[in-house]
Amino acid sequence: MPEACWTAKPRGPAGPELKPTLRFATSAAAAMMQHHLRRCGGSALAALRRLRHFPAATPASSPAAWRRPSLPSRPYSTAENSAELPANLVAIMEQRMKLIEQKSAYLQDQVNQPSASPEEYARANKEFHKLESTMGLIKELRSKQKEIEGLKSLVTNNREDKDMREMAAEELLEAIDEEKRLQHELFTSLLPKDEADERDCILEVRAGTGGEEASLFAMDIFKMYEKYAQKNGWKFDVIDIMESAVKGYKEASGTISGAGAFGKLKFESGIHRVQRVPVTEKSGRVHTSAVSVAVLPQADEVDVQLRNEDLRIDTYRSGGSGGQSVNTTDSAVRITHIPTGTVVAIQDERSQHMERVPKPQLQILYCIVYGVTMNKAKALKVLRARLYELERHRLHMDRSKLRSEQIGSGDRSERIRTYNFPQGRVTDHRVGITHHSIADVMEGESLDIFIDALLLQEEMDAIASFGA
Amino acid sequence: MGPLSSPSSAAAESKIKAKQPWRCSPSRPAPSPHPSSSVRTAARTACASPPSPSPPPPSPRSRRRCPATTPPPRGTQTRTRPPLFLRPATHPVPASALAAFRRRAAALVPASAPHLHRHLRWLLADASTTSDSDPALFRAPLDHIESLWLGHVRARRPFQYVVGNEHWRDLVVAVKEGVLIPRPETEAVVDMVKGVEGFGGGWWADLGTGSGAIAVAVARELGDGGKVFATDVSDVAVEIARFNVERYGVQDKVEIRQGSWFEPLQDVKGKLMGVISNPPYIPTEDLPGLQPEVGWHEPKLALDGGRDGLEHLLHLCEGLSSALKSGGFFVFERDLTSNICASIWQTNGNKQSEFLVDLISSKWSSSFRDVKAVLDFADIKRFVTGYHR
Repeated sequence: MPEACWTAKPRGPAGPELKPTLRFATSAAAAMMQHHLRRCGGSALAALRRLRHFPAATPASSPAAWRRPSLPSRPYSTAENSAELPANLVAIMEQRMKLIEQKSAYLQDQVNQPSASPEEYARANKEFHKLESTMGLIKELRSKQKEIEGLKSLVTNNREDKDMREMAAEELLEAIDEEKRLQHELFTSLLPKDEADERDCILEVRAGTGGEEASLFAMDIFKMYEKYAQKNGWKFDVIDIMESAVKGYKEASGTISGAGAFGKLKFESGIHRVQRVPVTEKSGRVHTSAVSVAVLPQADEVDVQLRNEDLRIDTYRSGGSGGQSVNTTDSAVRITHIPTGTVVAIQDERSQHMERVPKPQLQILYCIVYGVTMNKAKALKVLRARLYELERHRLHMDRSKLRSEQIGSGDRSERIRTYNFPQGRVTDHRVGITHHSIADVMEGESLDIFIDALLLQEEMDAIASFGA
Repeated sequence: MGPLSSPSSAAAESKIKAKQPWRCSPSRPAPSPHPSSSVRTAARTACASPPSPSPPPPSPRSRRRCPATTPPPRGTQTRTRPPLFLRPATHPVPASALAAFRRRAAALVPASAPHLHRHLRWLLADASTTSDSDPALFRAPLDHIESLWLGHVRARRPFQYVVGNEHWRDLVVAVKEGVLIPRPETEAVVDMVKGVEGFGGGWWADLGTGSGAIAVAVARELGDGGKVFATDVSDVAVEIARFNVERYGVQDKVEIRQGSWFEPLQDVKGKLMGVISNPPYIPTEDLPGLQPEVGWHEPKLALDGGRDGLEHLLHLCEGLSSALKSGGFFVFERDLTSNICASIWQTNGNKQSEFLVDLISSKWSSSFRDVKAVLDFADIKRFVTGYHR
């Protein structure tokens, strides 16, 4: 059982090494997981594994559902009886279903009330629509359950008519399978979702301890994510890069745009540790340095409304009248959000590394930083994302203690991964997976090994909190 | 490069210089500053700028003199050498030489100007390519780059002229001597244009276009039927504006016409949805006190606003109502502090008086509405905007 827990897809002959045991950052989480396993009997795990093997539905089709798999037209075969949801989870789900049905009926009443004010109407309508897809599943499930009841009575009432009984029995089996499938679907849709998963994200990489070597590794990591983004068909745009003396990146940030970008990259937040012989090192000693990575979901103006009076925008001031009387190359912009004290600064460092030639006949040098207007736009984007993240984090922490111990709780100073170059391997400490081709990882090729495992663990956490 | 030639041939050479862009390339570092008033006066005349009463600043003009070769006959196409950042990278520079140059160049940076280190990095970035070949390939020989650096550090030659570009808004605008370097404050003008309802299909005028930065930026935002008419009286400006328009591929949207302000736009009088201008607005008497990068190197033609800095702004206001169609929009850039000398219109003791806004609102109140001052990012009243009734 345990070794089948990971859906890490083997890549070629040299597959990843799978740790047979689950390792967690805290022992409390481990104890919780063991307790959960006992409760669910492992069948939920197996069921989820099966779910994960299905290709993910295109996110554009149903943003409300959290990685709803596109199930095959044929329901589960009767041989896969272990796909049944454990009884206690079904009971909890039944409770939830009742609550949702009640709420939906209540909202429908509100919407249909003639005396409702426009705001009340709009609010009720919006909430009603949010529940629509779940209600649809519930209705399907209820009708299937009725069908099963009907078929059951047919079977029992027709002891004499063998043909009728056999037909009814057959249909009953099919209906029961269908019921299980619907229960799965409903279960998945009821799991706590992170609606930010579908969004684009902002990636921030900062060199930590280790000086120049850390900045060189920060550059490697930044490029690794760029390649990973390209591999997934996402758009990668650089926001800002601050170079160090040895042409490494002291700080670098970029936006990654594409469906579900944040959902996959959110696990990258934390400290990445590297052990290797620095380029500048003469004696060949291995040094340890660290790079901190932060991934924030992009926020729209709808999510975070910034009022002009809350912002202080600092740009280069000549001290005089400015304008035609001054020549400057300083287009740096710093925006301070006064209520929260968040500061975003876009420096005006050009970078040769990001040169792109879009039209072959015109050698236009696309540097990250253009004029003040663009820097201000970038700074506002980053500020919105940071404020959104603050708000999300606050909501996260407001939930039960259980969630704060779970993966992705956003502790930025947590050391999540170690890249050991002399031994040629990368280890993710949260899921305890080690991959033995560091070159692949740095090319963005093998990151999915870690990300898939992390995603699965997140799902398991979600199940645990579902039952809590 | 020989010493300064005699003043008699100075005028002719300066005229040649104006017509032969980018040809002059010094082969060794510029000599120490040598004041030569006659040369500079001649140069200014060639650029058709008003004579300035201020003494000429010391600057090694010699490095920009052309060698004594026969100029090409007028009318034939001069072989325009591209700005530094666009030249082909065909000059190998071994790493050791580059490192030595870096050290020398960094040593020249005075403690009071740490931003020059950033400029050195950018100069080397613009002057080379990203490929990690050794020897690295540069767009000019290393000694030329060294002389460019010296000109920047010693003679305060603007960095944008050295590399030949200015990063402005979302463009990389090519610039060179003879054209005003686009200012960051001016970037806001494009957003104001975009705020005008239906701007995408309208005809816009960019008066005194200089490098063409505003014209190109606005053109990129326009839709079907939108056009920009860019005018400038200076030959160099017309040439550079054309270069930038072609670089950004907006030739179908931008029409460059040489001439003074509204004069080349007689055929579109009354049809313009908007008039944009960043005219020279520095008072003549303030010119000598300017930052050297501006005062010694940028064209006076683009800076001198006459008495109080208002000469051109007032001229533009006069021609505005006949140029704009009904409901048309205008935006001018100016400097408020230059207006404080205005006499009658100044309110009591208020140094930040809104002369231009008050003037337009009262003198032409029947022609314009919603005339107001708009702040720039430094909270200075930088722009005047309004609508034609």
